[in-house]
Amino acid sequence: MENHPTNMKKKNKKRILTFADAIKEAQTQAFKLDKNVFIFGQAVDKTGHVFHTTEGLLKKFGKKRIFDTPNSEQAETMFAAGAANNGLRPVLIHHRVDFMAYTFDELVNWISLWSFKSAGKSSMPLVIRAIIGRGWGQGPQHAKTLHSMFSYLPGLKVIMPSSPSEAKGLLLSSIMSNDPVIFLEYRALYNTKEHVPEKPYFIDLNEPRKRMSGKDITIVSMGASVLTSIQAAENLKKKSINVDLIDLRSLSTFNVSKIFSSVKKTKRIVVVEDGWSNGSISSEIITRVVENGIRLKAPPQRICWPNSHVPMAHVLEKEFYFDHNDISNTCIKLMKS
Amino acid sequence: MIKNIKNSDKLKIFYTLKLIRETQNQIIDRYHPADKMKCPMHFCIGQEVMPSVLSLFLKKEDSIYSHHRSHGFYLAKGGSLKKMIAEFYGKVTGTNGGLAGSQELSNTDINFYSGTILSGALSMAVGDAYAKIYQKKNSISVTVIGDGGMEEGIVYESLNLASKMQLPVLFICENNGYSTHTHLRERVINPKAFIKVKPFGIKCTYIESQDPEKLYLKLSKIINEIKKTKKPQFIEIQTYRFNGHVGPEGDDHFNYRPKKEIDFWKKKDPIIMYRNNLNKKINNFKKIEKKFDLKIKKIIDDAFIFAEKSKFPKDFKKYNYNNTYSSVVKKFYKNDIKLLKDQEKHKPGQGGKSPY
Repeated sequence: MENHPTNMKKKNKKRILTFADAIKEAQTQAFKLDKNVFIFGQAVDKTGHVFHTTEGLLKKFGKKRIFDTPNSEQAETMFAAGAANNGLRPVLIHHRVDFMAYTFDELVNWISLWSFKSAGKSSMPLVIRAIIGRGWGQGPQHAKTLHSMFSYLPGLKVIMPSSPSEAKGLLLSSIMSNDPVIFLEYRALYNTKEHVPEKPYFIDLNEPRKRMSGKDITIVSMGASVLTSIQAAENLKKKSINVDLIDLRSLSTFNVSKIFSSVKKTKRIVVVEDGWSNGSISSEIITRVVENGIRLKAPPQRICWPNSHVPMAHVLEKEFYFDHNDISNTCIKLMKS
Repeated sequence: MIKNIKNSDKLKIFYTLKLIRETQNQIIDRYHPADKMKCPMHFCIGQEVMPSVLSLFLKKEDSIYSHHRSHGFYLAKGGSLKKMIAEFYGKVTGTNGGLAGSQELSNTDINFYSGTILSGALSMAVGDAYAKIYQKKNSISVTVIGDGGMEEGIVYESLNLASKMQLPVLFICENNGYSTHTHLRERVINPKAFIKVKPFGIKCTYIESQDPEKLYLKLSKIINEIKKTKKPQFIEIQTYRFNGHVGPEGDDHFNYRPKKEIDFWKKKDPIIMYRNNLNKKINNFKKIEKKFDLKIKKIIDDAFIFAEKSKFPKDFKKYNYNNTYSSVVKKFYKNDIKLLKDQEKHKPGQGGKSPY
């Protein structure tokens, strides 16, 4: 791809940022753009600085704009809701999405329906950032994604960025959005790098992005799986299979037209998702394609996690997670049918 | 500190007591057989003292986050009776456009919010108070909870946050002794809720009396202190609900509370007691009360007519999402939505190789 960082080295000296730096830049710019934006959560202002995404913010903006909290996920979530209801734009951070299980009532009964039950008179402009997914031996309580659970709820926007420049634009939009946003950051992405424009920019929270164009097979993916899918697509290209790759970005309010027009062209679809297949986003996308009556040449496929909790043991992790070979093999099989 | 209460304030309290009581009675009377208000309702007959007195101390910019037995506090905050009844009718002119009903009665215009899943509202008030400090406003957040709500874990997380961060919140607990039909004795070791609040370093006040004037003196002091110190305080009032837990029907046929207990509290009916009190102190009181009654009857009748005449809502789906952005975004794009879709302009790369 022409914009791949490895291809850009000779051409220019474009700014290369990591995913973590891009998140930090989005927050810094949001702080400057709107004095009502603030960040809070457990240990967000110290030590690891949430995978370096909040480094330096305390020094620059002071403790009114970024502060630590006790271990009170429920109260933190409603604190964000109360502050948002009174004109602020809070960004609440959870170091692992698994801790958000504490906050089911707050999301289900308050935040997601706040605009609805006021008949649109109230809004809830808050962002909940949470770190998701696979990490070194993180095991059953520290490696979930839970995105499809959040996406089930009307009223929430669920965003999962796949690269640094995407993360910056999507986070800025999320913070400035008047709807509540769950912003899910795949842990493995923090050190990925690419060119990120310096000026603030905003990405539509409902629009998927075409990442690669091809006529043979449609892959829809999200978050870190987009990179795995790209790797698979590049291998498939060597076998003359051209992938149309769509990065979903927004998991609950995505505009379906890019997916439909792609599948109408390729007549084959694979959805790649870091999460359980039961009641998943993949199920939703495939259902919509089928409901829409788009004729397929081969049965639609899901590449997800097995319906099992995440094992810790290294050897089992290997079995649990899919890799780019699983994606290519599925695609090759589909092309034969 | 206020020691004497002006007669005009006494009459305001009495008027609000009666307005809340009569509104409840009228809703109960008209609920069946008309069958036009089709939502569950939690009435607050017997519990009118706290809202009636509180109403004198709150300004528009102060907010209330209430439990589900909220009608009294809504009216005390100056909420429109017309919009409230229209909401119960499920009409588009209701406080929540007919989408929420009695259980989640809310109105942004007067900063009044409520909800029926017990304790979220209390927690929300803490964040609301932070926004007040953040924006350097001198207003306070008030939240009302029942003794049942005081059993949820989120309450203690929120009390801790409010205390640690020093936020101007007035926590009110209306202790009516029952969580639906379960008495406090079956639920907790100590029936007084404030005992559990004290260890958080929050100043607590406990009130057993149903005399509005005693409450008036306490509240005026407490609210002044909260505004001055920006620290939260907690007030618990012992009270009793005369009506059933939910719905216009009574529920005493379930025998969950002793008749002796009901009679004891009905003898202490705050409206009857305060009427006797004012009758002795204020000239021409009977005449004034008659005037109040006529005025209240008119307001309530008008509200029901308004609700009857209003239309049912047509939309509901569109309210789930605002799909709008802060005006900040418009500074970057003349036509924000169109240009936001044109994001390919920022031409991102592929974000490097897969980490796996």
